[in-house]
Amino acid sequence: MAPTKPTKDSSKKSSKSPSSSSKVSKNKDVKRPPPKEVKAKARTEPSQLKKKQRREYTEDELDLPKLNMITPAGVVKPKGKKKGKKFVDDAEGMMTIMAMVNADKEGQIESKMMKARQLEEIRQARIKETEARQAQKKSKLDNVKDSIRNKKRKGDDKEDSKSKSTTEEKKGKRKSVAFA
Amino acid sequence: MRQLTEDETKTLFSKLANYTGRSLNALVTSVDDPSSNDRYVFRLHGSRVYYMRLSLANLATSIPRANLLSLGICVGKFTKTGKFRIHVTALEVIAPHARYKVWIKQNGEMPFMYGGNVVKAHIGRWSEDCPEHQGVVVFNMDDTPLGFGVTARSTAETRKLDPTAITVFRQADIGEYLREEDTLFTT
Repeated sequence: MAPTKPTKDSSKKSSKSPSSSSKVSKNKDVKRPPPKEVKAKARTEPSQLKKKQRREYTEDELDLPKLNMITPAGVVKPKGKKKGKKFVDDAEGMMTIMAMVNADKEGQIESKMMKARQLEEIRQARIKETEARQAQKKSKLDNVKDSIRNKKRKGDDKEDSKSKSTTEEKKGKRKSVAFA
Repeated sequence: MRQLTEDETKTLFSKLANYTGRSLNALVTSVDDPSSNDRYVFRLHGSRVYYMRLSLANLATSIPRANLLSLGICVGKFTKTGKFRIHVTALEVIAPHARYKVWIKQNGEMPFMYGGNVVKAHIGRWSEDCPEHQGVVVFNMDDTPLGFGVTARSTAETRKLDPTAITVFRQADIGEYLREEDTLFTT
């Protein structure tokens, strides 16, 4: 058996139709202003042709990679600046440059002098140190010399008495050559 | 002929300031006749820098560039690398404003003017407290400027040197007017 459509639908339709008719009847009662025709604006209309102000992004905001641009990464040309050489011909401009240069030079000379003075001090200190060291060495050497001398003298004193006697003995025994 | 740019002016002044003190300002501010609007200016012609009165510089504009050889006092020339080389002709400009001076004895004048460096034995007097590698102007004992150079040692160190030691390296001397006569003013 083939399925048959339920009969409900037909009943619904029948029920709906009177309601819809009633709504229409309601609309008819309310007075409305006549509908206005809304025209789509033509693309060539002057208001459409006007460019809308869009926010312009600077290059930094766009976060573009620095490389692969028309101007290489290192070259930045300032916009709106005068092209070519900037001459200085007024006395004030020259004076300002001169003041800068003078201050620079004086600083350099000052630092040079300071450096020279410090080096001189270091040199003096080193010379003093070497002198002191040499003096110390000399005194040490003198002490040693003295001590050796003293030792010798002491030894000599003792030996002298001995040697004197021996020499006298020796003198007595001295060989003598006589001509016959 | 044109004015100097900022960079050029700075290079020029820093070179001149090697030899002169603060009185270098007088170069720019000096005026012969205060009533007139005249002052001294620097002008670049070719690669050379000239120091002259403004009125003279203005007059020179009527001469074609190719025909203009020299005017005013030649201070020196800019090298192609942008450095400035000071000439002996600038001696007249820097000598009155010299910061450090060296006076040489008469027996040292000729060796210096033949292009030699200044040895200690030839020095008659020198400015005190002069650091090494500092620009100095060389005078004879009669205060005539003979040239300029750079100190080899500071004055304190020079005192300890032996008489034949070099104390000032020559950079320019008035003997160049004869020795370099052919090339001094050629462009």
